Amino acid sequence: MTDFKIVVCMKVVPKPEEIRVDPETRRLERSQVRSEFNPPDMNALEMALRLKDLYNARVIILSMGPAFFEPYLRIGLAMGADEAFLLSDRRFAGADTLATTYTLAKGIEKLGHPDLIICGEESSDGATGQVPPGLAEWLGIPQITLVTDIEMDLEQRVVRGRREVRGGHEMLEVPTPAVISVKTASNEPRFMDYEIKDKAFKQTKIGVWSCEDIEADEGYIGVPGSPTIVTGFEQATIRERKREFLPGARDEVVRRLLESIQDYL
Amino acid sequence: MENADYFVLDDELWEELLALTDGEAAPCFQCGVCTASCPWGLVRGETFSVRKLIRQVQLGTLNEQEDLWLCTTCSQCEPYCPRGVPVVEIIQALRYMMWKRRAILEGLPSLLWSVYWNNNPWFQPPSQRTQWALTLDLPTYDPDHHDILLYIGCTASYDRRAQNLAHSLIQILRAFQIPFGVLGEDEPCCGETILRLGHLPYFKEIAEAGAKIFRDRGVGKLVAISPHCYDVFLNHYPEVNRDFEPLHYTEYLASVIETGGLKFQKTFDRKVTYHDPCYLGRRNQGYEAPRKILESIPGVTLVEMENSGMDALCCGGGGGRMWMETAPGERFSDLRVQEAAATGANVIATACPFCITCLEDGVKSMGIEGLEVLDIVEIAAQVLQK
Amino acid sequence: MVASLYGVEDEQKAIWVFLEQMEGEVERVSLEILSKGRQLADEAGWSLVGLLLGHQVSDQAERMVAYGADEVWLAVHPLLEYFTVDAYAHVVEQAMLKGRPSVFLCGATPNGRDLAGRLAVRLRTGLNADCTDLRLNPENGMLTSEVTGFGGGVLALLESPHHRPQMSTVRPGVFPMGEEDPNREGHVHEMEFELAEGMIHTKLIQRVVGEGVDLTQTPVLVCGGRGIEGKFDMLQEFAHLMNGEVGATRPPVDEGHIERERQVGQTGVVCRPKVAFACGISGAFHFVVGIQDADIVVAINSDPNAPIFEYTDFCIVDDALQFVPALIEAIQMDRATAND
Repeated sequence: MTDFKIVVCMKVVPKPEEIRVDPETRRLERSQVRSEFNPPDMNALEMALRLKDLYNARVIILSMGPAFFEPYLRIGLAMGADEAFLLSDRRFAGADTLATTYTLAKGIEKLGHPDLIICGEESSDGATGQVPPGLAEWLGIPQITLVTDIEMDLEQRVVRGRREVRGGHEMLEVPTPAVISVKTASNEPRFMDYEIKDKAFKQTKIGVWSCEDIEADEGYIGVPGSPTIVTGFEQATIRERKREFLPGARDEVVRRLLESIQDYL
Repeated sequence: MENADYFVLDDELWEELLALTDGEAAPCFQCGVCTASCPWGLVRGETFSVRKLIRQVQLGTLNEQEDLWLCTTCSQCEPYCPRGVPVVEIIQALRYMMWKRRAILEGLPSLLWSVYWNNNPWFQPPSQRTQWALTLDLPTYDPDHHDILLYIGCTASYDRRAQNLAHSLIQILRAFQIPFGVLGEDEPCCGETILRLGHLPYFKEIAEAGAKIFRDRGVGKLVAISPHCYDVFLNHYPEVNRDFEPLHYTEYLASVIETGGLKFQKTFDRKVTYHDPCYLGRRNQGYEAPRKILESIPGVTLVEMENSGMDALCCGGGGGRMWMETAPGERFSDLRVQEAAATGANVIATACPFCITCLEDGVKSMGIEGLEVLDIVEIAAQVLQK
Repeated sequence: MVASLYGVEDEQKAIWVFLEQMEGEVERVSLEILSKGRQLADEAGWSLVGLLLGHQVSDQAERMVAYGADEVWLAVHPLLEYFTVDAYAHVVEQAMLKGRPSVFLCGATPNGRDLAGRLAVRLRTGLNADCTDLRLNPENGMLTSEVTGFGGGVLALLESPHHRPQMSTVRPGVFPMGEEDPNREGHVHEMEFELAEGMIHTKLIQRVVGEGVDLTQTPVLVCGGRGIEGKFDMLQEFAHLMNGEVGATRPPVDEGHIERERQVGQTGVVCRPKVAFACGISGAFHFVVGIQDADIVVAINSDPNAPIFEYTDFCIVDDALQFVPALIEAIQMDRATAND
């Protein structure tokens, strides 16, 4: 069943704890920061690779970003993905969700007709979780989001996903092609396979596509394609524990505690 | 050999093991001495058998993979093997065969990823590696000005309990004006856990990268807090340079004591029993140095446990077991602390952060009163003259 | 430049709130947004409109007026009984193109995000997700949304100046819920719309509510250690009141007080709750790793020097066996008063 094709959308993100906001310029300082694969995207890739194990699917990684993403995509290849493509063009920069999902959708169209597009739940930098439904909308196909488990019916051309909702779950079925988003931490991403790692890191060619390659409309990508503008950044308090001892008699402490935690619930 | 030829079903498995161990598994003739000496026998009876694992590979039917992860790589069995089979190496090779087949216990791939992304197996941010030392103002290692590179290691960098070992050692080095430096955030994870969990090619990659860092920094004497880091630097890293000399801190301190560069003035009036960490003792014959340090501390009464030195019982934390759950009733440390209590000692001294964790757990879960677990370096720091 | 289906010049000065309902009951987050929407609308002199889709939900529409809506647009259809993104996006799109609101808000819940994500693309507009604060400039009608990124470490302020509607999904719990005022007046407008079975591609096969534990997803985690002496019933009661789950350190699991699947830490489950309570826990590193991603950690331990306090936001030096019952009692009392 080698004609079963899965595209996994992946992104490289800065390690969140290292990001700082310059108090003067109110811009993000991200130059000296270590990067990693967006952790939820690792769950997405793992789900795709499990489907590959089961159905001999072809797994293609698609990413959008600068050239330094390339070695990261090779990590995905070393985990078992068959191919990787990077949408890389200065004009893609500054994209919000609308422009990002448009660009990715154009890349997916260029890749032919995948049966499934699998995404992570959200990215750790933007944390919008809006890419999967936006992508599904551009492509005009159904979606199942926040899936913890998935099964395919290749005969009927449907996919069934178990989706987490408040206080339980639901089982949804949609026809393929479809967009799936994977609940973060719902599986354990496999480590790289060292039998293929050398090839993945040194030989496999990664396709790099520009705006023209994917036939994207310039008005829909990057800054022109993005309705949203960022007017400022602020540093949120760093996750340093407060270590605040609540004083007083037991009843007072109970009161203080309930007030203190109210904002977080 | 008992009719081995009859049973060969899958030559490939056996060939693979031989290839991974450079043929060192070949001499095993199934005598079973390894199984008889394995500490798992103390808590589980016969259910975990090193002999059987090797047998299964010979037969091409390796499938009881859960057992394979029980081994703490304590090396208790190795000295007894009449054929000199390096059992730990075989276990690691078998584990790698499981990695290749993706028949891996849950949680272990995440552990490898943690080393990959975070440079430590504890799932902690790499940018916080030096946070424990923020107020210490530690100098960056410079071979022209420092006698030693102090290698902190991941556990002593992130685990609050183990951080005290690093603090203590620094106190001692400073008190005796021994010039040392550290690598700070650039300090690489030694990769020991990866090796023990059997991911041989990934370990090789880590070791090569680590050796390059040490080479580029011109590292000569390297002093490690954990015997686990020390062991891989000494025995499993590629050549760094001609001057590279990894030492466990006990060896280093003992040598300074020997040359008169270090004397303890205050007394430590306690009865102390010493628990040999596997990777200091059995693996690297580091039996004397820790005892020498303890003996040089005024007031210490040193008593030995029933099993000590070469026969010391493992704490249970090696071989990657720090990252796996061990069922109650099967923890070596529970037995070990009872042995310690039987000596009448009120302190178990040891020299390894993993041993500290396991033994403290044992003391708590066995409900033993009046028995404190301390690293030798903590005791030494307590008896420094102000 | 990409243009939205309707622009600033066609907008109505109104804030629309999508009222998410489950089995005929409007979700709390929707009421929270109504309350915030009311405040913004009053400041700007705009109207506040609730949009309610469902099957037998007409009774809820009047309630939404009592919660602050000037108008409720109501779409009733058997195919809207359960949420499917296809049906809901289709109906909401029709409503929006009719009402052309300047601002559209919905809860950043799983369904809210699904819906908003599709609509934003369909209407070619911006979408600010999981907002933690909202401001509306009465002068120019610009909505500013505050969002967090990078694991909550960075706040960003976002605007969508030239596209309409200005869409945001709002994180549950950031705005307080308003009071119900039965004397408020408003208008319920029953919508006409197109919807047919053929437009829906999503099939709901099964829905299960209230099942086995998943500590990784719980918003509140109540952990017990040696110091609670096996009294997990007490923690269970507390967790239940907080809509949370019970977890444990290794010793009580070993001693059989609680099942192994509830063990938290390096060799157990690693959790990311909003609030984690550590009751009678000394704070071994092995355990702490399991709650280090919690937004807030509360620890109760009678030993002021217990290491757990180094990893804690709110430290309480007290016997957990005494403190937790006091806490339970206080919460129950508060709830009883609130319901009077």
